[in-house]
Amino acid sequence: MSDENAVEARAARKIYGQGAGAVTALDGVSLLIRKGEFFTLLGPSGCGKTTLLKLIAGFESPTEGQILLDGTDITYDPPNRRPVNTVFQSYALFPHLTVADNIGFGLRMQGRPKREVADTVARMLALVRLEAMADRKPGQLSGGQQQRVALARALAPSPKVLLLDEPLSALDLQLRKEMQVELKRLQVETGITFVFVTHDQEEALTMSDRIGVMQAGRLLQVGDPRAIYTRPANRFVASFIGESNFLTGTRDGDTLALGAGPRLTATAMDGAPASGPVTAAIRPEQVRIVQGGGEGIPATVVRSVYFGTDTHAVVALTDGTEITVRMQSPASGDAGLAPGQEVRLTFEPGALIVLPEVA
Amino acid sequence: MSGDPQQAAAARRGWLLSAPALLLLAVGATGPLAIMLVYSFLEPGDYGNVEWALSFEAWFNVILNRDIFDGTLSFADAHLSIFWRSAKLALLTTLFAFVVGFPTAWFIATRNAGARTALLFLITIPFWTNLLIRTFAINQIIRNEGFLNTFLLWIGAIDQPIVMLYTDFAVFLGMTYVYLPLMVLPLFAAIDRFDMALLQAGYDLYASRWQILRHVIVPVVKPGIIAGSILVFIPALGAYVTPRILGGGRNMMIGNFIELQFGQGRNWPLGAALSVVLLVLVSAALIVYTRFATGGDKPHG
Amino acid sequence: MADRSFSISRLPGFGTIAVAVFVMLYAPIAMLVIFSFNAGDSVAIWEGFSLRWYPEAWANEAVKDATWRSLQIATCASILATTVATMAALGTTRRRATRGQSFVYLMINQPLMVPEIVTAVALLIFFSSIKVATGYQGLGYLIVAHAAFCTPFAYLPIRARLEGMDLSLETASADLYASRWQTFRHVTLPLVLPGAVAGLMLAFVTSLDDVVITLFVKSAGQDTLPTYMLAQIRRSVSAEVNAISTLLLLLTVVLLTAFFLLTRKRT
Repeated sequence: MSDENAVEARAARKIYGQGAGAVTALDGVSLLIRKGEFFTLLGPSGCGKTTLLKLIAGFESPTEGQILLDGTDITYDPPNRRPVNTVFQSYALFPHLTVADNIGFGLRMQGRPKREVADTVARMLALVRLEAMADRKPGQLSGGQQQRVALARALAPSPKVLLLDEPLSALDLQLRKEMQVELKRLQVETGITFVFVTHDQEEALTMSDRIGVMQAGRLLQVGDPRAIYTRPANRFVASFIGESNFLTGTRDGDTLALGAGPRLTATAMDGAPASGPVTAAIRPEQVRIVQGGGEGIPATVVRSVYFGTDTHAVVALTDGTEITVRMQSPASGDAGLAPGQEVRLTFEPGALIVLPEVA
Repeated sequence: MSGDPQQAAAARRGWLLSAPALLLLAVGATGPLAIMLVYSFLEPGDYGNVEWALSFEAWFNVILNRDIFDGTLSFADAHLSIFWRSAKLALLTTLFAFVVGFPTAWFIATRNAGARTALLFLITIPFWTNLLIRTFAINQIIRNEGFLNTFLLWIGAIDQPIVMLYTDFAVFLGMTYVYLPLMVLPLFAAIDRFDMALLQAGYDLYASRWQILRHVIVPVVKPGIIAGSILVFIPALGAYVTPRILGGGRNMMIGNFIELQFGQGRNWPLGAALSVVLLVLVSAALIVYTRFATGGDKPHG
Repeated sequence: MADRSFSISRLPGFGTIAVAVFVMLYAPIAMLVIFSFNAGDSVAIWEGFSLRWYPEAWANEAVKDATWRSLQIATCASILATTVATMAALGTTRRRATRGQSFVYLMINQPLMVPEIVTAVALLIFFSSIKVATGYQGLGYLIVAHAAFCTPFAYLPIRARLEGMDLSLETASADLYASRWQTFRHVTLPLVLPGAVAGLMLAFVTSLDDVVITLFVKSAGQDTLPTYMLAQIRRSVSAEVNAISTLLLLLTVVLLTAFFLLTRKRT
C-alpha cells in the first residue's frame, strides 16, 4: 500500500515435492523492501533466499502467501509480465547473440522501437564500460565482462526491481571486490531497487542499505548492516555474521553473573529472558586484554596466533570458557602473550549482548 | 496436498514432446518385435507367412530335429553348427579387434590435440561409411582373382591362388575390418580420461612397462574395454551383410540362417523363433555389460 | 621435446600396430576407389586410367532408379526422424531426471541395441500383414522403418547440444519479457538448430547406408542403391559397383566433414 515499498512478501511459503519427500524451502516469510534501496538476503546455502528471489521474479509461485510489487499483487503473474529483471548466478547469457543483442533482448521482446533499443543498448554499454565489446559473443568475454553484460542486460528495460542471485560467486577475489564497488555505483546511479542474494557476509555488510538474514526458510532479522552486526537478534545471526564469543550466565537486570565469577554489565535484546540462565554474545574485537593486574575479568592465555595486522588470542575464563580476542598487532609484532600467563579482560558497556533465548 | 503444479506441467510437456518419437518407434521398431514373438508360436504357411494356429514346432526346431517318419527327436546338427560358428566368429572378431584396437586407441589418445582430432576423424569416417562398401572392398582384395592373389602370383610367391573368399577366415577378417572403429572409439574415450600421472606413479613404484599395462592401465580403462567389446560383439553375432558377401552360401551365420527361413525355407515361425533367440542372447550380453560397467569400476577408489 | 628419451606414455609396439591399423583401414577402400577409374574390367589388374565406369553406371536405368529412391527415402526419413528427435530432446533434457525420461531414452535408443536382422524380420512380419490388409505397397513402409532406426542418430547430437546449455537461458528470456513463443523463436530454436542439422546429417547418412532392414521391408521393385549393389555383388564383379561406391563414399565424407565442423567446440 505504502509508496515506500517496492516489494512486499506476505507470509510466503514454498514447499517442494509432496508427501514424505516434501521440503519446505520457505516457511512463511513476510518482508518489506523499500524503493531505491540496496537490500541483501543473506544466509547459508539452502536457507531459502534464492527461493524467495524466484518468487519475486515469477520463476516459481508460492505454495501459500502473496508477493506484491508497488502494492499490486503479482503472485501469479508470469515472469515476462513483471517489471522485474534478474542477474543470474550463471549469467545465462544467450551464447548465440552478441553482447549488444543480449543487452537489447528484453527491449526487443517488449516490442520497443528499434531506435530506442539502439539508444538504450549504447547507454548500457557505456554504463558498464563495455563499448568495445558490443559485437563480441559472450563466449569471447572474460568472467568479469560476462558479469557486466548480464547486469546491463537486466538493467536495460529499466526494471522496477533488479534481482541479483549470487552474481559474484563465480569471480575470483580481486574481481569480486571490484564488482562490489561497481554494483554499488550502478545502484546509486540508476536509483533502481536492488535485491541481492548472497551467502557472503562481507559482501552483504559492505554493499547493503539493509540486510535480511535467513536460515532454514525463515527470515531471522532485518536491519541495516550496523544493527545486524552490533545487535544480532539471536545466536545464529551473531555467529553467521562475523564471529562471536558466547557466554552463559544468569541475568539479573542489567547484569550478568558468570557462574561463581564476576558480574558483568550487559545490554539485553528484545525478547531476552528478564532473569534466569541466558546466553550473551560479544565480538572478539570488543574484548581488550589488560596485562599486569587492575580492573577486569581474570583469565589465562591459552594461545596467541599472529595474523599480520591482527593477533588473535584465545584465553580461558576461570570456569574454563574459552574467549577469542582480536587485537591489532603491535609495531614489534609480538603482543607479549605467553600461554599460561594471567591477564584481565575488559570491554565497553554495551558490547555484551544478552540474546533472546534461554541458555 | 498441493503437489507442485509447475513440475507436473513440465512433466506433462515432456511427455507430449516425446510422444511423436515414441509413436514412431513403437510402429517402426519396438511394436513389431512383440508381433514377431507371437509369430514364433504359429504354424508355417505353405507359401511363406503363417497359419493362425498355436504351435511350438518352431521352438522345437531351433535346436531339435523331428524325424519325419517315426517322429523321434534328435539334435539339429546343422542349426547347432550355425550357432557355434556365429558365436565363435563373433568372439574371435571381438578379441582380435581388441588386440589391434587397444594399441590404436592408446596411440591416438597420446598424440597432441591437433593430431588427435585428425586421427579420430580418420577412425570415424569408416565407421559412418557404408558397411556394404567396406565389405565389398575386402571381397575385391581377397577373391581368387582379387588384388592380393594377383599380386602374389605376379611376384611368384604362389602359383595357385589362395582360396580365402567364402571361408570362415574371410568372414572373421571382414567383420574385424568393419567393426574395428566400434572398438577403437569407446577405448579412446576411456583412455582419454586416463590420468597419465598414474603412469608416473606406477614407474615411480618400480613397475615395468608390462606391469603398468597389466596392473594400472587395463584395470582403469576397463569400462571402455567392456563397452568396445559389447559394441563389436553384438553386431558381429547378428551380422548379415558380411557373412553373405564373404562367407557365401555355405558359411552361414545366424543372421543369414534367419533370412533363409523367410526366403527359400518358407518357415516364418522358425525365423521368428531364431530371431527371438538372437535377441535374448544379445540382451544377455547387454545385461552382463551393464553389471560389469556399473559394478566393475567401483573398487578402484 | 626430447622424444628419444624415456616417454612416460609410450608402450612398445603400440605405434607400429596403430600405423598398421590405419593402413589396413584405408587400403581396401583406396583400392576400391582406384579401380573405379580402371580402364579394364578387372578390379585387380590396372589397365590404365578411365572414367568410363561413371557414365556407364549412370546410363543404367536400374542405378538411376535406385539412386532416386535412396535419396527420396533418406530425405523423408531423416527429416521425420530429426523432427521427432528434436521434440523428444526438448522434452527430455534440461529438467530434473525422472523415470519417464529414462523410458523415453531407452525407447529411442532401442534400435541401437537390437540386432538389425531381428528388427528387419519383425518389420517384415508386421508390414506384410499391413500390406495384405490395406493393399498399399508404396515407399511409406521404408520411410517409417528408416525414420525409426535413424531417430537415435538424430537424437544423440541434439541431446548433447541441449545438455551443454545453461539451464537458466529460457528463464532469463522469460525474465526479459519474452512470451513462450518468443522464447522458443529467439532462444531455444537458434540454440538447438546446429544440433538438429548435425542430427539430420547423421540420420541421412544412416538411412542412405542401410541394407538389411531395406532388404526385408521393400516390396518388389523397390531396390535402393545398397540393395541394388548387394544383388550386383552376388552376380558378378564389375567396376560399375566401384564407381557407385566411390560416389557414395564421397557423399558420406562430405556430410561427415560438415557434421564435424558444425559440432566442433567453439573456442
